[in-house]
Amino acid sequence: MNGKFEPKIVGYLCTWCSYTGADTAGISRIKYPGNLRAIRVPCSGRVSPELIMRTFDQGADGVLVLGCHIGECHYDNGNHRTAKRLPILKTLMEFTGLEPERLRLDWVSASEGERFSRIVTEFTQEVSALGPTKWQNHTESTGLRYVGSRSAEMSQPRVATFSSRFDQYVEKTEAIQEKARELLAKDQVNCVIGYEVGPRGRTRPAFIHHVDEVDRLVWNQDCSHNLATYLRQKLHPSQKSSSDEKRQRVAIVVKPCDSRAINVLLSENQFDREQVYVIGMTCEGIFNKEGASRQFASHHLPEKFSVQDRCVHCTERTPVLCDFLIGDPPDSSIIPESPGDDELEGILSLSPAERAAFWTEQFDRCIRCYACRQVCPLCNCPTCLYERDDSLWVGMGTGINEKRAFHLGRAYHLAGRCVGCNECERVCPMNIPISLLNRVLAKEMESLYDFRAGIALGPSPLLTVLRGVEG
Amino acid sequence: MSLISKEKLDGWLSAIAKEATLIAPREIGGVLLYRPVAHSNDIVFNFTRPEMSIKEWLFPATDRLMVIEKYRQQIRLTETLPNNRQVIFGVRPCDASGLKVLDTLFTDTDPVDLYYTKRRENTTLIGLACQEMGESCFCKSLGGELDDPRDVDIMLVEREGGYEVQVITEKGRDLLPSDWHDLDNWDERETERRVYPDFNSASSPAYLETQAWPPFFKDDYWEKLAERCLSCRICAYVCPTCRCFDIRDEVLPSGVGFDRFERIRCWDSCASEAYRRIAGGHNPRPLKGQRMRNRFFCKFYYYPEQYGPIACTGCGRCVDACPVNIDITEVLQHLVEVNS
Amino acid sequence: MTAATQIQGQNAMTPYLGKLVEVRDLAEGIKLFGVGMFNGNNGVIQDYKPGQFAFVSAFGLGEAPFGIASTKERGNVLEFAVQRLGSVTTGLHELGEGDIVGLRGPLGNCFPMEDLKGKDLTLLGGGIGGAPLRAVIHTVLDNREAYGHLTILWAARRPNLLVFRDEYSEWRSAPETQLHLTVDEPDQSWDHNVGLITDLLEKVSPSPENTFTITCGPPIMIYYVSKMLDKMGFSPEQNYITLEARMHCGIGKCGRCNLGEKLVCVDGPVFTMAEVGSFLESFL
Repeated sequence: MNGKFEPKIVGYLCTWCSYTGADTAGISRIKYPGNLRAIRVPCSGRVSPELIMRTFDQGADGVLVLGCHIGECHYDNGNHRTAKRLPILKTLMEFTGLEPERLRLDWVSASEGERFSRIVTEFTQEVSALGPTKWQNHTESTGLRYVGSRSAEMSQPRVATFSSRFDQYVEKTEAIQEKARELLAKDQVNCVIGYEVGPRGRTRPAFIHHVDEVDRLVWNQDCSHNLATYLRQKLHPSQKSSSDEKRQRVAIVVKPCDSRAINVLLSENQFDREQVYVIGMTCEGIFNKEGASRQFASHHLPEKFSVQDRCVHCTERTPVLCDFLIGDPPDSSIIPESPGDDELEGILSLSPAERAAFWTEQFDRCIRCYACRQVCPLCNCPTCLYERDDSLWVGMGTGINEKRAFHLGRAYHLAGRCVGCNECERVCPMNIPISLLNRVLAKEMESLYDFRAGIALGPSPLLTVLRGVEG
Repeated sequence: MSLISKEKLDGWLSAIAKEATLIAPREIGGVLLYRPVAHSNDIVFNFTRPEMSIKEWLFPATDRLMVIEKYRQQIRLTETLPNNRQVIFGVRPCDASGLKVLDTLFTDTDPVDLYYTKRRENTTLIGLACQEMGESCFCKSLGGELDDPRDVDIMLVEREGGYEVQVITEKGRDLLPSDWHDLDNWDERETERRVYPDFNSASSPAYLETQAWPPFFKDDYWEKLAERCLSCRICAYVCPTCRCFDIRDEVLPSGVGFDRFERIRCWDSCASEAYRRIAGGHNPRPLKGQRMRNRFFCKFYYYPEQYGPIACTGCGRCVDACPVNIDITEVLQHLVEVNS
Repeated sequence: MTAATQIQGQNAMTPYLGKLVEVRDLAEGIKLFGVGMFNGNNGVIQDYKPGQFAFVSAFGLGEAPFGIASTKERGNVLEFAVQRLGSVTTGLHELGEGDIVGLRGPLGNCFPMEDLKGKDLTLLGGGIGGAPLRAVIHTVLDNREAYGHLTILWAARRPNLLVFRDEYSEWRSAPETQLHLTVDEPDQSWDHNVGLITDLLEKVSPSPENTFTITCGPPIMIYYVSKMLDKMGFSPEQNYITLEARMHCGIGKCGRCNLGEKLVCVDGPVFTMAEVGSFLESFL
C-alpha cells in the first residue's frame, strides 16, 4: 500500500440491469476500479433512503445507486420510485454537510458494460478527490458563529400591528364557545378539541366533553399548538385513547397550517372525514415570545408583537379545509409577497464542511426526548423506526451519529407531508432549529414536483405513491 | 462572614479547570446548560437554572457499562467504570437535593450502583445560592430553601461586594486554595429543615403528603390531565430525580478479526408509550392517563415508600419544559383541594 | 420467601460467563439451555432456589430475564427455557453447545418451599410459564415424603407447545402425584383434555383444605385461574403466582418493573394473590 487514499464505494446494483451490466463489463474484460463493493438488490426501488443514510453512517466514502433505465424496469415502475426519492435524499444530506459528489444515481442496462465501467471509474475518481468521508466523524464545535446559530438577533421578527385586535380575540372566543356548545348539546361530537388558558396564564390544548365546560375555550395570539396531532389518537380504529369505547367524533379548532395537516391525515386514510368537524380560524399570526419560545403567558397583550417565523412565511391565512369558518379573511396586505426564508438561505450559502459543523453543533444538544416527533401530527408509526428494541436502524444512545440518523430519517419521512407548522421546533427544549430540515425538503418538493403538502386532498405520501404517468 | 471578590473566584475556578473537569453553566446555542469550561470567562453567573440538571454528570444520558469482545467462541468483558475527577460549579440547592434523592436508590440500597457511586465520590459540588425564586420554582413546598447548603460541598452566596464562602464538607475544604483563611464552617445545627412546608403562598403551592396519595389512584383525574400529554420524555429528562433507564448491547466498530460491542444504559421515561410493552406486544399501560398517573405516584408515593425521600425537589423545570403545560404544581394543588 | 442473595462488593451489572453445555428443543420455538459456570466456582450462582430468575446475555444483542428451571440439588448446570420472541431470544436460539453466554443472578425472591412442606400442592403452568414450576416439581419429587399430594395442571395452546414432555412419565410415576394436560387446539394424536386451564381446574377440582397453589403463566391466565380458585373456596393467601413485568436491570434500579410501589424484580417475582390484591396497580 503506497498510502494513497482508496475510497470505500458501496454500489447498490439491481439484479436485472445494472448488476448484469457489471457482469457484462467483467466478461468483456473492461476494467474499472476495484473500490466498488457491490450489493445486489432485486430492484433499485428497493434501495430505501434509510439504507443509504446508514451506509454513509457506517463509513462509506461514496454510494452509487444504479438501476434500469426509466421505462425498462423489470417490475414496471420500481425505478420510478428511485427517481423520485433520490433527489430528495440528496437535498437533505447535502443540506446537512454531505458533499454532492458522494451520492450518485444513474441508469445502466444489462448490456452496457462500457457504460457501467465509465460511471464507476468517474465516480471513484470524484470521490477520491474529495478524500475520506467526514460524514462519520464528528468535529468538535469550532466556536465559529454561523448564520444558523440561534441567537436573538438572528431571525428578523416581522412586526404585526392590528387595531382592535383584542376585540377580535374576544369575538373569536365567543364564536368558538357558541359553536362548541351547539355541537355538544346536539350530541354531534363526543369532544371538542380547542385551546384554554391554564392557571399560570399559559395557553394549552383543551378537551371539552360537556356543555358546561365550554367556557374554558379561548382564542388568542398564543394558540400555537397544532391540535391535529390529537386526531389520530382519538379517531383511528386501532387507538384506545380513552376508556370510552363508542365511536368517536370530534370537533377541532384549527389554524390554516393545522387544517393542512388534517388534509394529509385524510389523504392517508387515518380516519373518516365525517369523524371530524373542523372549526377553522382565520389567522394573522401567532406570537413569538422572546427568550423561552416554548411557553406563552397571556398576561399582557402588547400593542404590537412579533409573530413566529413560520407565520412570516405563511401564505394561507384562511383554513384550506373547514366545516365552520370563524373570522374574516384577513387583509391581503398582511400576506407578504414571496417571503424569503432567510435562515434557510443562510445555511444553503455555506460550504459542505461548514454545514456539517453547524449541524454537528445542533445535534450535539439533542437529548432524544422525541418531543419533536410526538408533537407532529404526521408522525404516526406505531413503532418508530428509530426506537426499535432491536436497534435495527440506529442504536439507542445519544451519540451524534445516532441523533443525526433519527432527525434526518424523520425529515425524509415527512417530505411531502410536513405542513410547516414548525411545532417540532417550538417544543424542542434544546432550541434546535429542527424545522430547517423540513423546510428545505418542502422547498424541494415544491420546485421538483410542484407540490405543497395538505393544500388539497390527494395521494400521499408523494414519495411513495405514483401518480398518473409515474405509475 | 468572609467575602471573596469576583476576581478571586474567577482565578480559583480557572485553576480548578486546569486540574480536573470543571463543569459550570454555559450558554450553548441559546440554551443554558452545565458543560465543561476551560476558563472562568465561559461561565454564566447570573441565571435562574440551566435547562438540564446536574444529574447528567452523575448519571449520563448514555452510560457505557462494559465493552464486550467476541472472537469465535471466546468472550472478553471489560468493565468501564468511571474514574475522572469533576467539579461542578453553580449548583442550585434543588439540583443538589436531587442528587441526595438519587443516592438513596443508587448508593444506599443494595446492590450498590458502582457507576453512579464512583462518579459521586469523584465529584465535588460548589453550590451557588439563588437570589430569588424563578416563576415556576416551588422548592419551598418540599422543604427546600434558596440558600440551603446541606447537599453541596461548598456554598457560595452572592453578597454586596463579593461571594460569601461556606465550607460544608471535608471534600469541599480540600478543594479550596490553602491561602483562603477565615472561611466559615457550616454547622449542621444552623439551618433547621422545615418538615411541613408553607401552604398556599404564591411561590410555594401546596403539596400533598405521601400517605394521602393512594385513594387518588382510581380517580379519573389522571385520564383528563393526560389527554393533552404528548408522551414525549421531556419531563423525565430535565428532572433532577428521574432515573429510569434502558439497557442494551450496541455494535462498536469491530477490531481486526473480532467483533466489539458495548453494553450501554440510556435514559428512558415511563411517559413514553413503549415503556412497558413486552415482547409479544402486551402493554399494561396503554393509556396516557395510566402513564401520567404512574409518573406522579412514583415521585410522591412509590419512591418515598421504597427509599425515603420524595422524588421531586421543586425545581420547576418540567413546568417550563412541558410543551402542553402539564403542570406539577397544578396537579398538587388540585389534589390538596380535593383532599381537604 | 427470602430475598435474593446480594452480590456483595461486585458490580451487579456485570454478568458472569457461562458456557452452554446443553441446547435442545423443548417445544416449537422453545429451547432448553443448560449453562455450566465458568471461571471457577461461584457460590452465588450455585446457591439458588425455585422461583428465582437470572438474566441471560446473548452478547452483542442484550440480556433478558428467565426463570431458572433447574434445581441445584440435581446438578450444577443451570437450565432455562427460552421462547423465541424478540431480538435477544432469537440471538440465544442461534447459539449452540460450547458458546458463551452471560449470567446475572440469582435474582428475586423464591417459592416458600420450606413453608409448603406437609401441604398438598396444586401447580398450574401455562406455556413457557411452566419453566419455574419444573424446579418446584423436582424439589418435591426429590423430597417426596416432606410434601403432601402433588397435582400438576399443564397447559399450552397446542400439543407441540407443551414443555418438558420427556419428564411427564417421571412425574406421573411418582407417588401421590397426578399430572393433567390440556390444550386449546388439539392435533390428531391428542387424547387428553381439550380446553382452557380454568376448565381443567374445575374438572380436577382440588380441595382447598391444606392446599397451596402455584400459578405461572401469562397475566390473563393468572387472572382467570385466581377467579376460579376463589370460586372453589381458596383464600388468596393460599395462591402463589409469579409475575413478569419487563425487567431491564433486575436489581431494582431501572424502575421499569414496578407494580405500584412494588418492584417485581426485588419484591417478587413470587407473590401471593393476597399481596397482589393489595397493590395499587393491577398486574394486568
